[in-house]
This record gives sequence, structure tokens and C-alpha cells, in this order.
Amino acid sequence: MTETIDFFSGFGANDLWFLAEAALRTLWISILSIAAGTVLGALCGWLIYEGKIWATLTLTPVLDIFRSVPLIIQLVLFYNFAPIVGLNLDPFASGVVILTIYTAALVANVARGGIEAVGRPMRRAARSLGMSYWQDMRYVVLPIGGRAIFPSWIGVALGVMKDSALVSVLGYVELLKASQILITRTQEPFLILSIAGAFYFALSFPISRYAAKLEERWAQ
Amino acid sequence: MIKNVMAAAVLSFAVSVPAVADTLDDVVDRGTLRCGVVLDFPPIGYRDANNEPAGFDVDYCNDLAAALEVEPEILPVTWAERLPVIVTGRADVVFGATSDSLARARTVGFTIPYAIYFAQGVVNSQSGIKSFDDIRGKRVAAAVGTVPEQEWLKIAKEWGEENLYQGYQSENEVFLAVAQGKADIGLTTNTAVKPITEQYDTIEPGPRMPWTTDYTSVVAKRTDVTWLNYLNLFVTHQVRSGRYEELWGKYVGGEAPELRIPGVMY
Amino acid sequence: MFDYNFHWRPVMKSLPDLLEAGLLTLQVATLSMIIGIVIGLLLALSRMKKTGPAYWLATAWVELARNTPALFQLFFFGFGIGAFGIHLSPFAIVLAGLSFNCAGYLAENFRGGFQAIPDTQLRAARSLGMTAWQAHTRIIIPQVFRLVYHPITNQMVWAVLMSSLGMLVGFRELSGETQFFASRTFRIFEYFAVTAVIYYAIVKIVLGASRLLAMRLFRY
Repeated sequence: MTETIDFFSGFGANDLWFLAEAALRTLWISILSIAAGTVLGALCGWLIYEGKIWATLTLTPVLDIFRSVPLIIQLVLFYNFAPIVGLNLDPFASGVVILTIYTAALVANVARGGIEAVGRPMRRAARSLGMSYWQDMRYVVLPIGGRAIFPSWIGVALGVMKDSALVSVLGYVELLKASQILITRTQEPFLILSIAGAFYFALSFPISRYAAKLEERWAQ
Repeated sequence: MIKNVMAAAVLSFAVSVPAVADTLDDVVDRGTLRCGVVLDFPPIGYRDANNEPAGFDVDYCNDLAAALEVEPEILPVTWAERLPVIVTGRADVVFGATSDSLARARTVGFTIPYAIYFAQGVVNSQSGIKSFDDIRGKRVAAAVGTVPEQEWLKIAKEWGEENLYQGYQSENEVFLAVAQGKADIGLTTNTAVKPITEQYDTIEPGPRMPWTTDYTSVVAKRTDVTWLNYLNLFVTHQVRSGRYEELWGKYVGGEAPELRIPGVMY
Repeated sequence: MFDYNFHWRPVMKSLPDLLEAGLLTLQVATLSMIIGIVIGLLLALSRMKKTGPAYWLATAWVELARNTPALFQLFFFGFGIGAFGIHLSPFAIVLAGLSFNCAGYLAENFRGGFQAIPDTQLRAARSLGMTAWQAHTRIIIPQVFRLVYHPITNQMVWAVLMSSLGMLVGFRELSGETQFFASRTFRIFEYFAVTAVIYYAIVKIVLGASRLLAMRLFRY
């Protein structure tokens, strides 16, 4: 065999596509986890607010653990624990599970705050008008509380999007992992990290600006 | 949730006691071979211009899958993950230039050697390192969880220079560190030296390391002896069919090293 | 299939080393917070001017810090700027990355704090004969400090959690040390489980200390 092989090759146009694809994967894992985590978190927040003793005693400390242990440790632990109990989850699934619980832990606090933000008198008024508990939740608490916590929720969502970079340690090829792969091959860390950073910025900045604008408008 | 998991754990433990792990059957039934490979170790494992896995180990994995008539599934792992993926059952087999140390053999099972390496340094051209003794007082880098790291730390301890050692996540980061001048010498294997020194202007081949030759083996679950037997047979067939010689020539170049260990029955 | 045997003995043997590494985690988090608070204050003040190069520099800093992942920032301080021959030790990489990140987040908190204090207070203080320096240090800053105390505490917890990323740039803080030991004994799950407990304890200690300090500081 006299075939020559290049073990390294420069940065090419198809690599930009490789990064863009990876950015889509970052977006996808984030959207999935944020959506599931928000639903789960809102549910937990509501349970804690309603203050059933068992929920407060069991849920609050469990969620607290997910807020007090670094995400990267959670990911490594879960990824290595799942196969022990016979769950053969790939990095993507493991990442989604942990990011969802992590999002839920953060959203639960926010959601509880949102329910609390709606004053007692207003809710009593709603009930006096003949609304059922669920009507009160749907037509009074959701719009008013939701508006109050929308900026913090955006903050959580953007945080999770950025933290999804940590799923790279499990080997899921999202944006940051893709840039590491390219750095290995092309040996141009500065260029590739700059492009990856630009992608993250492009994903996050417009949403955070939009949320800030919205907050300003609502504050008036 | 914890309670459920515990219950599931206890339950499955009770159920699985009589069942004997048989990866060979599992792989054939599943139709895929999950194969752990380190991809930042050119030319043994790397990614080609299309970012697809390639290299000596990757081809070995493909050959094994072909022999089993199943689909290969390459699972990229870091150095430190090579054994855990076997222990937790995430991979069926690992081709990862894994030295068959007795300490590791307490955790996983090894086949007969399938490739032989020796440890060599790559040095920054400014570092002035020519021989092994020149390393005294210089900054040393290696990948976390590798034999070079462990061997070097023993020497560093003797010299009282542990503070000059820096571990990195991957071999590639070691090379980058040497190229950028963060470290004076990076510890790697002889096979990587040629591609690395061709890639970087600032890196030169360094001295050979004094520890013994690295006999590297295919890794599989320790308890699964039938699977290890099969893998042993696979390694001998690779040599007998000339495939070993061919792949070594393709990726590393030159004569493939003799896998037999002189003076011992294997 | 459950054929995994837990081995806790090696973990217990290296527990003293892990606890020592926990101190290093606390140390780098505290240092980065001190640097982050100082720079964050400067950034907040520069951003309130609305014009000039200082404003643009501060805005770029804040937006970059808030809209890219912390891990990306660490990589940038590691191999990114290494391409220009600037070499930081792993400790310095983590310190620089965390300080950069904390400063960006704290700057926004500080800006909100300053804006919450009416201008009239400054004018009143000046008309009482205080110099601008006196008015700021005696009237404005103490009030702002009180407003941002809670966000600072949160950021400190973040800094502790974020410092775990040090393991990916070769820093032997709690996570890095854990990974080092785990890679020698291959008991990843056991090691990281113990580390998770240590992180939890550190976070609780930080929150407890902050609460005690608050009781001393804000007695009035």
C-alpha cells in the first residue's frame, strides 16, 4: 500500500456546514429539554405552592439537589448509572433526561414565584365571581403570573441552552463538541472557537434582547 | 424516584443472577457491534476530512463486525472512558490502544496483544530537550488516564517534579499544548510522532521513554470468557490473513511489529 | 441486567484528597467573585454613561459573557488565546473564565441596583456638602449593595458550580481531582457520587454563610 493519508486537513466550507448542523443539534436538544422541563417544572412549582405537606417535604429537597450539584457531575453520574440498572441510553437521551430535570428544578422555583405574584385578593375575587379553581388558574393566574415570570423563564431557558454545551462530555456532537472535533483535525483553535462562539451568540442574543425589550414594555 | 430505581436495581439483581452474560450471542442477536475507539490518536484513531471515524483501530472494529456479520457502531471514547464503557456495558468491545496492565486486568478482560507501541515524547523545538535526562525541570504533558501519565508520575515523584506535570483530556490537547508552548514535552506513542511532527512546525520528535514496551490488547468484559476467546481468535486471524500487516502499513507505515513476546508462552 | 458491583473502598481512601480539592474549588470561586465584583462594578458604571468607548467595551463584555456558554469561555481562555502564545496555567484559565463570566452577570445586577436608587438622593447628598466620592461611598453604594446582595450570593453559588468545568481544562479542583482518581480506578460512578455530595455540602455552606453575614450586615 502506497496510498498517502492526511491525518489532518484544513478548515473547509463543509466544516462550516458541520458546525451549523451541530448548532441545530444544540437547538434541538435545548428545545426538547426546555419544553419538557418547563411542563414538569410548572407542575412541581404548583405542587409546592399548594403546599401539600408531602410535596413540600419530598419535592423541594430533591429539586434542591439538582440546583446544588454541578450539571456536569449530574450528567456524568446519570450517564454511568443508567447502564448499571439496565437502561442503555445514548448520550442524547441521557442529556435530555438530565437537562429536563435540571430545567424543571429551576422552573419550579420560578413557577411558584409566579403563582405567588398573583395577589390573594385577586384570586378570591375570581372565585367569588363563580370561577372554578381551574378557571381561576387558567384565566387569572396564568396570564398575570405568567407575565410576571416571563423574563426569568427566558433567563432559565437561555441558561439551559448554553448549559447544553456540557452534554459534549458524554460525546453528543453538539456545537461545542463539533468545534472540538474540528480543532483536533484542523489545529486552528482560535478560528473555530470564534465561529462556535458566533453561533451561540446568534442563538442566544436575539432572544435575550427580545425578552429585555418586552420586560421594559411591560414595566411601563 | 430514588426508591423506584433502588427497587428496580434489587429486582433486576435478583432476576439476573442465574443468567450468564454472553456478549457474543447478544451482538449477533442485536445485529450491531458497539465498538469503543479513541479518535484523537492519529493514525490509530482519528476523523477524516469528512469528520468520519478512521484509522487502524476503526478498521479493526469494521473487520470484527464483518467477521460477525453485523453492523459496526463506532462509539468515540476518551482515554479515561475506555474501561468504564466496558464495565457499564455501554460498549461490547474497545479497540483503544489499551495497555494490558495487571491493575486494569482487575477491572476488565484483555485479549492477547493486537498491537505494540512504545512511549515516545514530542517536544517543542524551543525546549532544548534532546535526551530523557533533559526533561528534568521541564513542563510535561500527557492525557489523563493513560499509561504514560501513570508511568511519568512515578518518575516525577522520584525527581520531585510532580508540579511540572499537566494532564489533558485528550492526546490532541497535549499536542496543542506542546505546539503552543504550554508544555515542553508531550508524552505519546511512537506511532503518533510522525503525523504530529509533520503537522506542526514547532514540534519535533523527542526521546523515547524508559518504561517498557506497550503491549496493547482488545478490551472486553472480564467475566465473559467466551467473548474474550472469540476476540483472541480474531486477533490471530487478523495476523494470519495479512490484514494486520496491511493496515499497519497503511496507517503507520513500515514493518508491522512482531506481536509475539520472546521467551514466554502466550 | 444488573451485574455491576459497587466498590466504595478506593473512594473512601482518597476522600481526604477530594476534600482538599473541594477547598481549591471554594478558593477559585471566591477569588473569581472578588475579581468579578470589582470588574462588574466598573462595567456597570461604564454602561450607564451610554456613550464612548468604555460603554461599547463594557456592553460587548456583558453580552459576550451572558450569551455564550461558560465552558466555551473556558476553552477560549485555554486553547483559544493560546494560539497567540498567551499561556495561562489551568488555575489561571479557570480564574479568568469564571471572573469574565461573573463580571458580565454581576454588571447587569449592579446596573439594576444603581437604577433603583433615585438620582435625587445623589443630588441631596451633594447639596449637603458631600463630595461625589463621599456621596457614592456613603449613600449610594451601601444601598445598592443591599439590593444586589442576594444576586451576589446566587452568583457565588454559580461560581462554585461552574468551577467544576475546570476538569475539562486540566484543573485539579474537586471535579478534576475526582476525574483523575476515577480514571485510575475506573470507579466513575462511585467517585462522582461522593463528589456530588461534597458539592452539595459546599453550596449549603456558602448559602448558610451568606445568610449569617446578611444578618450581621443588614440589621437595620
